[in-house]
Amino acid sequence: MPLDVELAEVRDFLARHEPFAGLPAAALEALPARMSVEYFRRGTEIIARGQDNHHLYVLRSGAADVHDEQGTLVDRGEAGSSFGSITLTRGNPSTFSVTAIEDSLALLLPEEDFHALCRAHPAFDAFYDAQRRSRMRGAVAELRVSATGSAILTTPVRELVTRELVAVPTTASIREAAVAMAEQRVSSLLVMDGDRLAGILTDRDLRTRVLATGTDPAGPVSAVMTGDPVTASVESLAFEALLEMTSRRIHHLPVVDATGRPAGIVTTTDLLRLEEANPVYLAGDVAKQPDVEGVARAASRLPRVVEALVGQDASADDIGRVVTAVGDAVERRVIALAEAELGPPPVPYCWVALGSRARLEQALATDQDTAVIIDDAVDAAGLAWFEALAERVTDGLVRCGYPRCKGDMMASNPRWRRPLARWRTELTTWLTAPTPEAVLHSSIFFDMRPVHGDESLHARLQRHVLGAAPEARTFLTHLARQAGAHEPPLGFFRGFVLEKAGEHRHTLDIKRGGVLPVVELARVHALAIGSPAVNTRARIEAARLAGVLGDELADDLRDAFEFIGYVRLRHQSEQVRAGRPTDNFVAPDDLSSFEKHHLREAFAIVRSAQHSLGRRYLTHVVS
Amino acid sequence: MTLLRRSVDARRQRAARRARPGPLADFLAVPGPDRATPVHDLPLLAVDIETTGLDPATDRVLSVGWVPLDGDRVVLAGAGHLLVGDGGEVGRSATVHGITDDAVAGGRPLEEVLGALLGALAGRALLAHFARVETGFLGAACTRLWGAGLPVEVVDTFELERRALGGGWDAASDPGALRLWAARARRGLPVYRAHEALTDALACAELYLAQRAELEAAAPPETTTTLRHVVA
Repeated sequence: MPLDVELAEVRDFLARHEPFAGLPAAALEALPARMSVEYFRRGTEIIARGQDNHHLYVLRSGAADVHDEQGTLVDRGEAGSSFGSITLTRGNPSTFSVTAIEDSLALLLPEEDFHALCRAHPAFDAFYDAQRRSRMRGAVAELRVSATGSAILTTPVRELVTRELVAVPTTASIREAAVAMAEQRVSSLLVMDGDRLAGILTDRDLRTRVLATGTDPAGPVSAVMTGDPVTASVESLAFEALLEMTSRRIHHLPVVDATGRPAGIVTTTDLLRLEEANPVYLAGDVAKQPDVEGVARAASRLPRVVEALVGQDASADDIGRVVTAVGDAVERRVIALAEAELGPPPVPYCWVALGSRARLEQALATDQDTAVIIDDAVDAAGLAWFEALAERVTDGLVRCGYPRCKGDMMASNPRWRRPLARWRTELTTWLTAPTPEAVLHSSIFFDMRPVHGDESLHARLQRHVLGAAPEARTFLTHLARQAGAHEPPLGFFRGFVLEKAGEHRHTLDIKRGGVLPVVELARVHALAIGSPAVNTRARIEAARLAGVLGDELADDLRDAFEFIGYVRLRHQSEQVRAGRPTDNFVAPDDLSSFEKHHLREAFAIVRSAQHSLGRRYLTHVVS
Repeated sequence: MTLLRRSVDARRQRAARRARPGPLADFLAVPGPDRATPVHDLPLLAVDIETTGLDPATDRVLSVGWVPLDGDRVVLAGAGHLLVGDGGEVGRSATVHGITDDAVAGGRPLEEVLGALLGALAGRALLAHFARVETGFLGAACTRLWGAGLPVEVVDTFELERRALGGGWDAASDPGALRLWAARARRGLPVYRAHEALTDALACAELYLAQRAELEAAAPPETTTTLRHVVA
């Protein structure tokens, strides 16, 4: 007798977890009958190291740890995690052990069925692909599938309504309405009859219907408002709202939600600001400003630009370049304004950017990192001019939203504002007799890019460094050790970040645990081969061409860096949207399962690159 | 007790002599597992039935769900779930199991449903939660249809839970604590929608694996846990 058995509980469970969630309904329906269930008491091995495994294990409840050959914890999974795919794709015996750390129930899928699913469903296959590189590549590509276009064509009105609704009841007086507008600094407010939108009052109404006609401000607001105004739905697009306003020659449009309840007001200014989120306008605007206040005002649009770029699925690499370009424009303009005040420089000099901006990888929430290389002909009076310049520029940058560097690595610190010859001596000392402090500093100072002034000064210093660095074995060893010091986390477990030692953290420091490790190891490779590249991608490519980084690892590392950078920018763009200050601390619950899965992969790639770096450079420590 | 336990084999032989040809006779022709069988090799069939009430004499079976266990593994491929459609009405019991008269109308005759169940049960011990309901209704139905009862070794997760909670009658004084869902929740097993025969059978099978692991962990080392240790 044929049985049409519906194992709904098992099917529904699988449907909630990747990669099963992506299977077509028919494949998902057929899956439970192919599976069996086993129970593992806490502490028992699910897959033993050195033994053959013929199943994919999907945890139904409980939790399990994965340890590698050295007995190091490499992963921890909860309900929905799967284990054993590595032996199924790469072959037996298992090099890992999987142990239940809680009493656990597991669903077992036989290897034949696993391979059949892999053959039939490319996304399923990609999820368990033993070749991490294609998996990472796919993840990076998947980030950018949505349509791009002008922001005004794609942004819903909902996203323009950012501030609290300002409203008065119909019973309010004209004066009360005007006071509310002044206090809330708005150019219009809504007049409400209970929950119902009764009218709108604007600055212009106060001018033309109250002041110009001599109406008593004690009179009712309902007498001078525009009653039953035209409204836009929160779901409509920004350009529809703009069309409505231009055709009716109005500048304020109340926005209502699906139930007709007011959600706020959009103004023509809000809509124009959308187009200002274009980075080309922004850098141009910055350069036009007559004073630091103007530069600061223009620069304050940068977070919105980043938000827009993330929304348009620009790559982390591209966004890093845009943020850098705006940062450069701000710095150049502030320097030019300072020079205009101080008079021309006494000798040639080069203002350089350090760190992430030098690498064209600036994100939001970054400090100032600057230095000045001065022509050797400078005298004491000349040095005083540069001190005044550095003070003004540093202050100006603070006003433009770039906080002072906590480590005081700024041109305002005399140590980082010196004649070329002194720079040479200092850097030579770092390379030949490295101290821990020097190694720390070098991480920023070897990422240097000219922003303003005489670039030949920078070029001469750089040539000097690049000639000496490949020979500086002890220094490179120290630098390699530092590059291995920031180990990325293992992944995520029940809303926590899982660290290598098995401990849990509430937030992921995506800069320290993700971005910096790649930056640092790319720098070691670049200095070791004497490459002038400062951008991390360019350094990875240079290391590949020089043969110190394998093709596969180089590709993996580039994609991992892009993926981590993207998650960081998306996090920051959401903070911008929510009106919060930006930072690098990501709560695991804010990550999608797609992001968690691929971050774990990216972290694994970074760790393996760190290990290969260690093998290459740490061995020199004996010589 | 010993006398009673031994009598399963004796009852099987007696039933085999009486049973009319058909699924019951076929089932009885296949020997069940020996009590010395280690639990890791023990073939079981987890069974759950939904009925119109609790009295086998007056109430009817509405649906039967089952899933086999081969030693350590619940084999979902062997799972079965059949509705019984024999003309009767569900009545008020629909509020408990959610099986409506319409659903029952799409079911199969009891004879056919029990035939499929007995086919799956051949060579296995029966596993259920509060097995008295299953053995009572299935035994009565077999007697009516084929002239003999259903002698089978029974493992009861309700009974195992009562023992785990102290074994005495006291534990049973709070029957809520012994319910399938309470026993599962105590072990962190997933929450299922209750009262669907196959889901309950699967839930019972998983609970059994957890209870068995606890029994083995508590047993002195080098002892082999067998059917004798878990039989009701």
